[in-house]
Amino acid sequence: MSVAEAIPEARRPSLFLRLVSTPAGAIGLLIVVILIGGALFADLLAPYDPTKMGAGRRFQPPGGGYLLGTDEFGRDMFSRILYGARLTLLIGAVAVLISMTLGVLIGLTAAYARGWSEAVLMRGTDVLFSFTETLIALSCVAVLGPSLQNAVIAVGIAGIPFYARTCYSAALVERSKPYFEASIAAGAGHGRLIFLHLLPNVLPTMIVVATLGVSTAILAAAGLSFLGLGAQPPLPEWGYMLSGARDYFNRAPWLMTIPGLAIAMTVLGFNLLGDAIRTALDPAERQR
Amino acid sequence: MLRFLAGRIALGALTVFVTTILVTLLIHVVPGDPVQIMYAQSQGSTPEQIEQVRRNLGLDQPIYIQYIQYIGRLSEGDLGHTIRGGQPVLDVILQRLPNTVVLAVAAMAMAIAIGLPLGFFAAYYRGSLIDTGLMALAIAGISMPHFWLGLILLFFFAVELGWLPVSGSGPANLILPAVTLGLSNAAIFARLTRSSMIDVMNQDFVHTALAKGLPRTLVFRRHVLRAGLVPLVTMMGLQFAFMMGGAIVVENIFSWNGVGRMAVEAIFQRDYPIIQGFILTFAIVVVFVSICLDALYAFIDPRIRRAA
Repeated sequence: MSVAEAIPEARRPSLFLRLVSTPAGAIGLLIVVILIGGALFADLLAPYDPTKMGAGRRFQPPGGGYLLGTDEFGRDMFSRILYGARLTLLIGAVAVLISMTLGVLIGLTAAYARGWSEAVLMRGTDVLFSFTETLIALSCVAVLGPSLQNAVIAVGIAGIPFYARTCYSAALVERSKPYFEASIAAGAGHGRLIFLHLLPNVLPTMIVVATLGVSTAILAAAGLSFLGLGAQPPLPEWGYMLSGARDYFNRAPWLMTIPGLAIAMTVLGFNLLGDAIRTALDPAERQR
Repeated sequence: MLRFLAGRIALGALTVFVTTILVTLLIHVVPGDPVQIMYAQSQGSTPEQIEQVRRNLGLDQPIYIQYIQYIGRLSEGDLGHTIRGGQPVLDVILQRLPNTVVLAVAAMAMAIAIGLPLGFFAAYYRGSLIDTGLMALAIAGISMPHFWLGLILLFFFAVELGWLPVSGSGPANLILPAVTLGLSNAAIFARLTRSSMIDVMNQDFVHTALAKGLPRTLVFRRHVLRAGLVPLVTMMGLQFAFMMGGAIVVENIFSWNGVGRMAVEAIFQRDYPIIQGFILTFAIVVVFVSICLDALYAFIDPRIRRAA
């Protein structure tokens, strides 16, 4: 029996307490909560319409009437950042949902079915994995055409091999455990074995992977938008905003600083939170 | 060792084979008529010209015939012709590929030169303030979008200070893109190195060496460092692929004349022969580099080298 198991359940701190007990976990959680709050209440918090242009208020510096200044079209940067948070979270969530759903489906099927379907699915995954996420995403955008929706689909598809591999490894471990063999011996059907035994036991691992995956997805989608292959004007997407700032380096450096900082903080938040969840759930990680 | 390498080469060959199929299918999964889309942006295309292009691309044939024809052309080194300009795709790629490889190699060298020592020091001083500080720096580096870092470096060193050129493809132009790509990856290398070293530090042979009374520095230099570097070699393969991907964005920031910039321009222009050539070339380069690194790994890891 491990030390963690020996401590009575009532005395073990909750996952939340374990998360906030480390500075990194607390900072990560705080950033993500602020981001979610900003995204949810963007309608209430934003002082201006994020797409409303105004010729007379172009390149207003931060402060004064505009907390984060205005852009080359006179749009309020603070409002654009707030609405951008909503877009960014949505991009991360949808892309991870696509990767995770299909990845789990492939990983579970391969680990459960074994035999030729395992060979085909996992070799296919290996091939796609060596393709690298960037190439898959770029190929998808090349086929579907540049748009935010297509960039999210592309990033989602690009993540499938990684999620499939992780799920496959986790499901193989579960398959080899005595409870699983006992369930087979007791006559459990395919559905019961997959959905009541394998899936619930694989999910915690997949949730940790997904939390870390949100930051990768956000970064990839912002990269595509930066190249002009994702979000299109006038959407307040941070990667796209950063791309537009290139032409106004000297005149309005805040156009480059603010969206970049927003992306970096978001990615940092999810990275710290993901690391903290992994450490909190896995006692072996705490030794590192 | 040979069996290990044969497996890797087989997977590499399978990857390239699957790529050729996907590249052939690519043009058929485009929503709408790909030839119409390709020509939508150019002026003065008559229906006859469009039909001619369809025939030239072999799109009037069944897919399996198209695939056989594609493989036949590939074996002769023919990747087709660009839609705009009608140049051979292979020539266009070969002209730009060296620039991308130079950028990726320079960035890789920088990432290793910075990331490896930092990761090693963090592991050596595990749990101390040095470790915490270095890892905080690493996670900040990983979270920083490289396209943002690129813009900041461009702003300070090219626009404000004027020390380096803003864009182009000369040796001085390589510095900023390589630093951008290298710094982002140095953070990843630092974390991987630390993790690998700590795994080795927890091994029994290290505890034994320390228990025997060998100096800590000697144990680290002779045992931990050597054993900890081995798994990093395989990770370098993945990192190289990651770096090639990152090069696509970085080339566009600094107008570096590589295949990444070419690919993005081709996507905008819907120049599918270039996109197809780019995907195939990218896959071949990544597969080739990972097989070379696997061979190196097999050679330096005695467990694989001496395996029957």
